[in-house]
Amino acid sequence: VNRFTVLRIFTIGVLMQMLTGPGLSARQASEYQVKAAYLYNFAKFAEWPGSLTNRSAPLAICVLGKDPFGPALDIAVTEDIRGRKVVARRISKFQEGQDCSVLFIPMSEERRLGEILKGLERIPVLTVSDIPEFSRRGGMIQFVFEGNKIRFEVNLASSQSAGIMLSSELLKLASTVRRS
Amino acid sequence: MIRLKNASISSRLTWMNMIVSGVALLLACTAFLIYDRVSVRESMTRNLAAQAEIIGTNSVSALDFDDARSAESTMSALKGSPQITGAVIYTKEKKAFAAYSRDHGVALDIVPEIPEGQTETHVFENDRLIVGRPILFQGKTAGFVFIQSDLSELNDRLKRYAGIVVAILAVSLLAAYAISFISKRAISQPASELAEVARIVSRDKNYSLRATPLRSKTELAELIDAFNDMLAEIQSRDAELEQGRAELEKRVEMRTSELAAVNKELEAFSYSVSHDLRAPIRHIDGFSMLLNQKYGSKMEPNALQYLNRIRDSAKHMGQLIDDLLGMARINRQEAVRRRVEISDLVAETIRSLQHDSDGRQIEWRTGELPQVECDPNLMRIVLTNLLNNAVKYTRNCEKTVIETGCLVQDHETVFFIRDNGAGFEQEYAHKLFGVFQRLHRPEDFEGTGVGLATVQRIIQKHGGRIWAEGKVNEGATFFFTLGAA
Repeated sequence: VNRFTVLRIFTIGVLMQMLTGPGLSARQASEYQVKAAYLYNFAKFAEWPGSLTNRSAPLAICVLGKDPFGPALDIAVTEDIRGRKVVARRISKFQEGQDCSVLFIPMSEERRLGEILKGLERIPVLTVSDIPEFSRRGGMIQFVFEGNKIRFEVNLASSQSAGIMLSSELLKLASTVRRS
Repeated sequence: MIRLKNASISSRLTWMNMIVSGVALLLACTAFLIYDRVSVRESMTRNLAAQAEIIGTNSVSALDFDDARSAESTMSALKGSPQITGAVIYTKEKKAFAAYSRDHGVALDIVPEIPEGQTETHVFENDRLIVGRPILFQGKTAGFVFIQSDLSELNDRLKRYAGIVVAILAVSLLAAYAISFISKRAISQPASELAEVARIVSRDKNYSLRATPLRSKTELAELIDAFNDMLAEIQSRDAELEQGRAELEKRVEMRTSELAAVNKELEAFSYSVSHDLRAPIRHIDGFSMLLNQKYGSKMEPNALQYLNRIRDSAKHMGQLIDDLLGMARINRQEAVRRRVEISDLVAETIRSLQHDSDGRQIEWRTGELPQVECDPNLMRIVLTNLLNNAVKYTRNCEKTVIETGCLVQDHETVFFIRDNGAGFEQEYAHKLFGVFQRLHRPEDFEGTGVGLATVQRIIQKHGGRIWAEGKVNEGATFFFTLGAA
């Protein structure tokens, strides 16, 4: 089963629910379905330093604290990326996130965000969040809504200082790219 | 082509040059055109495939993030290639994801099919080329891209090519024409000169002419040389022949003059002999006559008979000598020709003969005779001899008829004298005109055998001929001509 097919089927299903059923939970579910897929896709278009040497190690997509995805993330990470196995992991402390390739910081961690970003500075972990002002504050990729559509902003300076290369293919889809 | 049959070498060369270069060019152009079309198709396909790959590579993230606008903006770069009429990106499931159309709003009719076992496809249709290929990302198929191009490039190229072909053809035909015009000097001009010389040679039989040789070593030069050699050969043979003829003529002349000298000598000799013989014969005759007069009465009859025989023989010999001298005189005499009424001469001769014919009954028949150019004295001798013979050899006839006349044979006047006398055997006719040659015994008809020989000499002096026809006891006919004055 292809993830886009799933995605699309889900999207259609979600639209149907939006018209018929109670909005919030359904919207949440569909939003984090898409965001889970996006997390996986970010990993496809990013390169980590020394990624060639520890090719055998799995590529971890981590969620810090309270997991808003549910099973959606596990569904999204089924396929390998450049020969590396992809795993979804939940962590409770950001210090555990040093082995993660991608770290999602949910809204619930907003209060500790300054501490987290400071702690992960210059460490090759692709930080992603939907906390407002995330990218401005030094986070690498921030989800934003453009109307109904989920888009993202990129802080290229942060990712570059951490040694992560983001593909231009990814950058051209970003709604905003911060370079300093 | 029928007109070419009689065309000169130069125009044939011109035609050949033009046809050959035209055909060669057409073939070459066709080959190049086909090659060009194939290679242009290939390069178009390659080019379009490259564009498809670029579009595909740049649309991977758009496909992954379901961002059709991004894919469309990527595809809008195709505006830079005006021959590309449209492009469509399909998802992995072959659902249309994003499209580009050069002419906005024109729907694209593309079936996203890639044949089994092929990584990409290209289809040439009447007016378009479609190239399709999968979009690969990290070894996986992310979607498909199909690009459609019109064939204006191909058609423009064909038009340009046709223009170039026509131009090249025109220029090279002109060049071929110019070259053959120049080569005229090298080939056709010498050839027509050769033909002209050959024509003059065969018309004027002038073998001293020569065709202008060429300095080159071509077949034409060899032909001209061979022709000149042939003329030289003919000329040298002509000269040899002429030389041989001249030599022969000289030799004939020499022999003739030698013969004439010998002949003259012989004539002089026979004249002097005849002349010297006359005196002793006259003595024999004279003294035997005196013997008869003075002592005839005292002689026995036998002795007298012997004496008479001596006298007869002496007379005969005297006659022979006179005739020979006469003939010799005629031989030395030139024929002095003038216009003579031959019938007058005939009448005169007949009159003188009638005195001697002892009152015989002779019927003279004389036909119409023309005036002729001849020596009258010599002609009188001819007529006297021939008519005298006729009278002599008709002596034993009961009724003598002697006919004189002429007839025209082969534009020549032939005179004849015919009698009905003793005649002769035709097979001996050639002997009649020899000196001392006689066909009758002297006991039957007296004579010396000099007369007809003399007649023949006179006729020959006039440049004429004489011949005779006869039959024993039925008469003889003598014919003669007198040649041209």
